[in-house]
Amino acid sequence: MTIDRSIDRSRAPQPGPPRPYRFPNVERRTLDNGLQLLVAENHNAPLVAVRTLVRSGADHDVAELAGLASLAGELLDEGAGDRDAIRLAEDLGRLGASLGSGADWDASYVSIDSLSRNFDEAFAIFADVNRRPAFPQSSLDRVRGERLMELIQQRDEPASIAAKRFSHLIYGKGTYGNTVIGNPESIARITLDDVRRYYAAHYVPNNSAIVIAGDVHASHAFDAVSRLFADWQRADVPPRPEITPASFESSRIYLIDRPTAVQSEIRVGHLGIARSTADYFAISVMNALLGGVFNSRINLNLRERHGYTYGARSLFAFRRQAGPFVVSAPVRNEVTRESVSEVLGELRRIRSGDVEERELSDTKNYLMGVFPATVQSSSDIAGRLLDMELYDLPHDYFDRYRENIDAVSKEDVERVARKYVDPDRAVIVIVGNAKQIREPLGALGMPIHELDAEGQLIA
Amino acid sequence: MLSLDSYSLPNGLRVVLNEDHSAPLVAVNLWYHVGSKNERPGRTGFAHLFEHMLFSGSEHVGNNEHFRYVQSVGGMLNGTTFFDRTNYFETLPSNYLALGLWLEADRMGFFLPALTQEKLDIQREVVKEERRQRYDNVPYGTAFERLLNLAYDSDYSYHWPTIGSMEDLGAASLDDIREFFSTWYRPDNAVLTLIGDFQPDEAKRLIDGYFGPIPAGGSFPKFALERKPLGGERRETFASPVQLPRVYRFYHLPKMGDADWIAGDLLSSVLSGDKASRLERALVLEQQIATDVAAYVLPTEATGMLMLQATANEGVTVEQVEQAVDAELARIARDGVTDDELDRAKTRAEVDFAHQLENYDSRADLIGMMATYFGDPGKVQTWLDPYRAATPAALQRVAAEYLVPDNRVTSLFVPENA
Repeated sequence: MTIDRSIDRSRAPQPGPPRPYRFPNVERRTLDNGLQLLVAENHNAPLVAVRTLVRSGADHDVAELAGLASLAGELLDEGAGDRDAIRLAEDLGRLGASLGSGADWDASYVSIDSLSRNFDEAFAIFADVNRRPAFPQSSLDRVRGERLMELIQQRDEPASIAAKRFSHLIYGKGTYGNTVIGNPESIARITLDDVRRYYAAHYVPNNSAIVIAGDVHASHAFDAVSRLFADWQRADVPPRPEITPASFESSRIYLIDRPTAVQSEIRVGHLGIARSTADYFAISVMNALLGGVFNSRINLNLRERHGYTYGARSLFAFRRQAGPFVVSAPVRNEVTRESVSEVLGELRRIRSGDVEERELSDTKNYLMGVFPATVQSSSDIAGRLLDMELYDLPHDYFDRYRENIDAVSKEDVERVARKYVDPDRAVIVIVGNAKQIREPLGALGMPIHELDAEGQLIA
Repeated sequence: MLSLDSYSLPNGLRVVLNEDHSAPLVAVNLWYHVGSKNERPGRTGFAHLFEHMLFSGSEHVGNNEHFRYVQSVGGMLNGTTFFDRTNYFETLPSNYLALGLWLEADRMGFFLPALTQEKLDIQREVVKEERRQRYDNVPYGTAFERLLNLAYDSDYSYHWPTIGSMEDLGAASLDDIREFFSTWYRPDNAVLTLIGDFQPDEAKRLIDGYFGPIPAGGSFPKFALERKPLGGERRETFASPVQLPRVYRFYHLPKMGDADWIAGDLLSSVLSGDKASRLERALVLEQQIATDVAAYVLPTEATGMLMLQATANEGVTVEQVEQAVDAELARIARDGVTDDELDRAKTRAEVDFAHQLENYDSRADLIGMMATYFGDPGKVQTWLDPYRAATPAALQRVAAEYLVPDNRVTSLFVPENA
């Protein structure tokens, strides 16, 4: 082979012309009972991803029964139609299909991923799980026990403790504040009746969508859904409870002691904004630049410049209602104070109007360019379709995504930074070795409240 | 069938191309045949620390510019280190193929001029934080490390995990890094896999231009990887800040790809993975003495491992869980597995493989593995054949021969204050 000496490695090569990309075509139908259907064909692999979206989640939990939505969701695969849990697993295993179910804050999900050659049989089982779950008492008892064990384990997990305390401080005992899986007291209260009532009230066609992406023909998929879901009865769904967030007049620190900690888990943040915000694209760009990607201000500061952490990030949780804005950073004990200081510094700086052209274009180019790589698989495509349904996104959302990001200007980024990032009214939660970090943190000049792991004030 | 075009450059770099225009992307993937097993005691964690260093720039790529070059065009990138290899990969919009190749070639051939003490010091701190975050600050975080320590003698290169120890990381010097690079990071120790939306002639021209001038290295250090038998079970009880006791088991297997390793892989699917699996059904559903169980094999080149773990429910002792696990293993050794169980395990293997082939980046990594561990990227086409051919008798024999006390390491994590 002749080596091409015309290649100049002293600088980055120029790209070729961009290659076209279009999000897969999405076929839509609505059944008479209100069930929305979306199908995207993708014949690149012999796989199909099927998802039910139920537009109710843990946001409907009342405090006394926190964890109900998630428990109800999880119990769907404990038996359906003629099959008990074991038979479900065996029959699905033969088909090369795997089943999942559960809930998060805004929605509940049932999912099946199958070899496409067995779509019909796998889908029939999927329909059973959706329509005729058995909800055996013995399963509730056992899964309740598993949840309790999970909560027990979380007592030692610093990231879990930090997340729980942070959410609770922002949202209290209401929606978004309880944790999706509940707590030991609430889980102990949940009865089979509660589960059946939740299922009956929310898993109804006018509150749901079925998304199918993969190696199946759209017409065949629609037929299967119609056959097995057309007689699903609609019903009115209870209204979504509203969040009752707290607000804070000034920033303060909540410290939870973990004597064995070699790192402090730091969370800095406050109430964010709902997915439906008109500023969604500007905030997405701003957050990516601030702390959403590896080459963001917060990560480059704490990791690459200072070596304080393996990774620090910022996030807006765009939910149906306003999720939190939170910066997360696990750092070694000795630099806890410095890390908090650097994070607050970055939150102030992004509001100061110093966004540079290069970091803005790098960030926008990343968001615009990376999208195709994140939707290669049928499972990824199905996930995007679920988002479209859950957040009522326009049908041309993915086609217009690039231009919407591209339209975000420096002024937009600075405007939304000032509007949505508030370092002076933030909640700062730190799970760490109190003996080692309490005194240095005092030098930051903010009140420090010490909590136990359950969130009770100690001092 | 994938269409693969494999060849080598004169400097020994192996190249595999898989043209696929279903998405306007290219996956660029490099496997270097070096990992934690190429370290020595006192210098553990080097391969992984070195992986971090390789993102910090090279002669023509400024500090932190590597990440920026890729992210600013919509690319995703990362690298990982394991016992036997270190991989580096990026998925880029396909019109940026040359960028990916330029970056990989620059750090393969021109890394040393950009190496500084300051970069080493920062990445050392980052890696120490990684260790804290993933191993030292989480419950059960050191389990795998403890199992390795027991399973392999201290002079065997799998004795330590890839993260290394805090002490050894602290001792790493610039000279150590230079030596590591010169010994292992060279075209004749690497496989470049390229998948996606490219024109083969253009890709080959770029590969030749960027990688061709990088010289091959000298001889490789010799490694003896013949593992001494355990000579009886090794076990420990480790009191640590955990809430629930957990049983960890480690069984030696032949190396990945061996017929018995494949049977072990299928056996781990029979043992765990869904509610009908042996351990989950018996321990979690029926007896309700465990809250979770898992069994799996690891893709290791020198020698194989089957891992098993079960977390006790509150009020259940670790002895009870151990006995229940052993009862299930003994049942399989005595009575075998059913045809249906084996068929389901085979189907799961097929599905998992299909998922790995679906995305360009995971497909490239599979191919890199086949080329590196087995010397044949084409093995990706036939990888499932021995899975399909496995018999219930083979699984029964592997259970009876390998999943036994004399061939196992046990680590019992128990709460400190119990």
